[in-house]
Amino acid sequence: MNMSDSERVRTIIETQTGYAWTDNEEEANMLGILACSVRQKAIDKVYSRIQKWNKWKHKKSLLTFISGCILADDMEKFLKLFDIVFRMSELEKLPEMIRQYGVVTPASLFTDLTAMPKNESINTFWKVTPHYSSGFEAFVPIQNGCDKFCTFCAVPYTRGREVSRPSGEILDEIANLVGQGYKSITLLGQNVNSYGHDKKGEEITFPQLLERIGEAGDNSGKEFWVYFTSPHPRDMTDEVIEVISRYKCLGKQIHLPIQSGDEKVLIRMNRKHTLEKYRDIIHTIRRLIPEATIFTDIIVGFTGETEEQFENTRKIMDEFRYNMAYIAQYSQRPGAVSSRWVDDVPTEVKKTRYHKLSNDLRRVSAANNRAMVGKIYRVLVTGHDRKAGYLSALTEGKIVTRFASENHDLIGNFVDLKITSSTDFSVEGEVITKT
Amino acid sequence: MTKISENTTKVHHIRHLTPSTYVLRFDRDQRPFTAGQHVILGIHGQKSAREYSIYSSENDDFFEVLVKAVKPGDVSQKLKELHHGDLLSVEGPMGFFTIEPEIVTQGKVVMIATGTGIAPYHSYVRSYPQLDYKMLHGVRYASEAYDRADYDPSRYVLCTSGENAGNLHGRVTDYLLENEIDTTADYYLCGNVKMIHEAFDILKEKGVNHAKIHAEVYF
Ligand SMILES: Cc1cc2nc3c(=O)[nH]c(=O)nc-3n(C[C@H](O)[C@H](O)[C@H](O)COP(=O)(O)OP(=O)(O)OC[C@H]3O[C@@H](n4cnc5c(N)ncnc54)[C@H](O)[C@@H]3O)c2cc1C
Ligand code: SF4
Repeated sequence: MNMSDSERVRTIIETQTGYAWTDNEEEANMLGILACSVRQKAIDKVYSRIQKWNKWKHKKSLLTFISGCILADDMEKFLKLFDIVFRMSELEKLPEMIRQYGVVTPASLFTDLTAMPKNESINTFWKVTPHYSSGFEAFVPIQNGCDKFCTFCAVPYTRGREVSRPSGEILDEIANLVGQGYKSITLLGQNVNSYGHDKKGEEITFPQLLERIGEAGDNSGKEFWVYFTSPHPRDMTDEVIEVISRYKCLGKQIHLPIQSGDEKVLIRMNRKHTLEKYRDIIHTIRRLIPEATIFTDIIVGFTGETEEQFENTRKIMDEFRYNMAYIAQYSQRPGAVSSRWVDDVPTEVKKTRYHKLSNDLRRVSAANNRAMVGKIYRVLVTGHDRKAGYLSALTEGKIVTRFASENHDLIGNFVDLKITSSTDFSVEGEVITKT
Repeated sequence: MTKISENTTKVHHIRHLTPSTYVLRFDRDQRPFTAGQHVILGIHGQKSAREYSIYSSENDDFFEVLVKAVKPGDVSQKLKELHHGDLLSVEGPMGFFTIEPEIVTQGKVVMIATGTGIAPYHSYVRSYPQLDYKMLHGVRYASEAYDRADYDPSRYVLCTSGENAGNLHGRVTDYLLENEIDTTADYYLCGNVKMIHEAFDILKEKGVNHAKIHAEVYF
């Protein structure tokens, strides 16, 4: 989400304030952060950054700002440390804040710190034409906020309730990106597949949105892949999977967070779906899109998680044979319901569980990757690989791939690779044809 | 009944049920609501806010919540001190601990709660007079059988663990273990996670399909 937010912030600054972009932090006269309260580590980094920047203020003219997902407690502290603090829904006011800086105090820009973004202002934010930082990969927000209230998560408290972006705007933005030759487009939302729930009867549903994107995409004569993240299993219908199976441009990779493989942990996390429901979704994906890769998110060491409950999570790693899992050791998120519960799984136990599950993932992913060897895959070349003389790429299923090539013009284009070898988390191949 | 701003509402009054537990009534401001949902409440102008299930009916033009003042009690103790006209910050209603309409009209539900976990069930019963329900309420003492008169006595089972003063001297989970379980009913579990997990295990063991077990964890 922050990628898309930052592209929009950059557009506003460049087009309305006269500042020009620099990649060099030390050279900048204005520095900003789009924060994420979801992880405490990220917030800790913000504090160390702003302390450094505030020291630089003795040597040069420097304006600092912060926005993003910020909890009320941090917001108060940031007001003292940053020159400008704003919510993403107030982005349109940023040029005014920059111009007024020095005339008003930052705190006076805010009347109600606890207020959630208002629908009208998030709508204005979406209308800002983003400055995409890549020439072939773009992120398109389609939905903001979350109504699910998982007990470990602070997003519903920082981003507010679900608001869907008008489908017309989304379709226009995608058509524009496709016209410009973008090859990978990701639809973003905290709860992407609950798209339209807040506007029942007035707006199309998520599968209908995908269908329109699929139809327009396949008729465009262009080659590209559209993904979405992150969906919630509760809102994942067979219709969504069926639509993905029908359109070539809808990427055959599905990220479906499970968080835990234990029924009782899922209840405590307030995920509001059963393991059986999740299992049914996976079966439908395997049946309708056998080639699809499946990614997930898992938290280990959630409050009260017993050894037996953790072992149930290990079992689902084997059962669902994920291509990738983003595994996190549980940590309390300020503002989330579980931040008021005793974080009773010791750090050492969390670490051990993390390593065990990561090894399980490694084993499953390695087997999936081995099965790719000898087959031909279309890949999108994404950049230079760490290995000299190689380029990196992603398959449609987002499996990390590398191949020997000095041809930098391939970056941002599709090529066909024959997979020659595999590792735990990547594969290597040889170019067959070039577009 | 004027609405002050989207997130602010006014207190009507507080009805004390026990020395620690009370019902707080405040303006609904025509917010749409389905029985079983909760709001996030705080004292206007203060940072802390907490989730509270709505206790009143879908048909009432006010909202009520049933709150137990706990310690240290950043919010529950302070809400207890409010008076008529004081301002509250309110978010919601939100949440999915609701009953499917076809279950309301044609199904059977068994509601199991500890302490204030009875709050959403009070709302179900008041909102859906036709509901075919059975209620198991687990408390320490019979004095915590909040608004017991609002339930049909033939459908309400009080389990008291601290004294022999209810329908059963023991916990709701003892009741589940000792009695026959209707596997065709939908089960609702609300309150303390320990009870919810134990009841979940018993129900599954006795053949209830997980899809028929719904839970809301308070703490
Ligand atoms: C979805 C949801 C709905 C909820 N609905 C209700 C409700 O209808 N009524 C209600 O009283 N509470 C309800 N709670 C709990 C409520 O949100 C607060 O946690 C509670 O009021 C304590 O907050 P506090 O700031 O006063 O105390 P804190 O200092 O935050 O909590 C102190 C401790 O009290 C214990 N505790 C929390 N809630 C209760 C409780 N209800 N009974 C006994 N002990 C408790 C916990 O162990 C907690 O750690 C709900 C929680 C959730 C997640
Ligand atoms: S679905 Fe759960 S984890 Fe995802 S943003 Fe919403 S509350 Fe957070």
